[in-house]
Amino acid sequence: MRKILIALATVVFIINFMPKQANAQSEEELVQICGMVAGDATYLKDFRIKLDAGDPPPVQRFPILLKKDIKYRFSVCNSKEYEGKVVLQLFDNNRMLATTHIIATGKDYPYIDWVCTKTGAYHLFFTFQDGKEGMAVGLLSMVETL
Amino acid sequence: MKSKSGILVILLILFGFIMQSCKSCSNSGSDVSEDLVIPDSLMFDTPPPVSQNVTEQMMENISSPVETAALIKGLKIPFNKDFIVSSNQAEKFNTSFDKALALGIYGCDLGYLNMYEKTSFVVDYISTIKRLADDIQVGQFFDFSTLKRLATNNENLDSLVFISQQSFNRIDVYLRETKRDMLSAVIVAGVWAEGAYLTSRVAQESNHPRIRETLGEQKAILGFLLALLKIYEKDPSMHQLIAEIEPIKESFDKVKITYELGDPIMVMENGVATFKQQDKQIVEMDDDTYNTIIKNIQNLRNKLIKL
Repeated sequence: MRKILIALATVVFIINFMPKQANAQSEEELVQICGMVAGDATYLKDFRIKLDAGDPPPVQRFPILLKKDIKYRFSVCNSKEYEGKVVLQLFDNNRMLATTHIIATGKDYPYIDWVCTKTGAYHLFFTFQDGKEGMAVGLLSMVETL
Repeated sequence: MKSKSGILVILLILFGFIMQSCKSCSNSGSDVSEDLVIPDSLMFDTPPPVSQNVTEQMMENISSPVETAALIKGLKIPFNKDFIVSSNQAEKFNTSFDKALALGIYGCDLGYLNMYEKTSFVVDYISTIKRLADDIQVGQFFDFSTLKRLATNNENLDSLVFISQQSFNRIDVYLRETKRDMLSAVIVAGVWAEGAYLTSRVAQESNHPRIRETLGEQKAILGFLLALLKIYEKDPSMHQLIAEIEPIKESFDKVKITYELGDPIMVMENGVATFKQQDKQIVEMDDDTYNTIIKNIQNLRNKLIKL
């Protein structure tokens, strides 16, 4: 009985003294940082990404609605607490349209612009390179109307 | 000895639980919401008949006051105060459903005011929005004092837009987390209706081809919105709202939207990797359809604001 009580006490204390809000707080910080990365663009929406390690790399997906004649900016910021580097990909129904990571050159962009010519539903896919565990924020903002 | 250590263990557990409950007393970060008590009248326990995940994802992206206002401003169309709802009208919204609808409508108007940097009106609208948000227990996500300071001092207008937009996003997330996702959908409906109304008023005054196209594009957006609202159609207020929106959907049936697909190209513009979409969108409708859409949108909006 005493062993059970000790185990229960240990569990309760671990839960209490773990930094429960750490993720939420650092996500807020990441949103702020990502806003600075996006520069002059007008903030529209943020996407919070937290993925475990995996093979194939796990994916977090968000449907979004984009409008014709708007230049959007997608920016990404990684949490320093994790090894994973986030990759953002923009898809329509079945085609990849834009990405922050160009495989051919291996180059990562902290932000990319998307000149939209078709109002409709799109999909944002977020993964971490090499399937590593990671936490990141993606930001959708508006650069200008065309 | 054994009984002493048993008591110690029990005390440790009790202390642990006290610590746990004290965490909700904290005022830091996003914890603010945890100590709020939500009246039962504002809770909607009936689960929607589709997955929560799908609902959430649809809700996030249907309508944005900033984009609509930016498109209008981008066409060099001047600001018109007559297009937006008077803040006095807010007193007519009594139920939580109506207040959520009004929150969306005034949120859209705030986006329009912010985009045109009409800070002299902004404070009044922020106050109205804050009251409505308080009434449905989401006022804590609206950083009223900061917004008021930014608007009053006419300083850092980018921050004004950022905080306004982020406040609405947080309200949306919180409502969904607290099983009040129907109210979140209602806010989205309010934003859409007011955005469509602003576009229709601009269409009447400018007859700009891009505005005509923007109105036609609403066919696709309205499809998403109605799919979202129909999740909650068992609610009598929602049922009525859907019935009021349906005539607009019918008028959009005559709008034809076609696409010519092309592969996007990537270029470096001012040092930024820029992907340019090559798809073409063609929106076709006759004048009768166009005028009917305008009339139906304006009828809907005037019903919603109880004119």
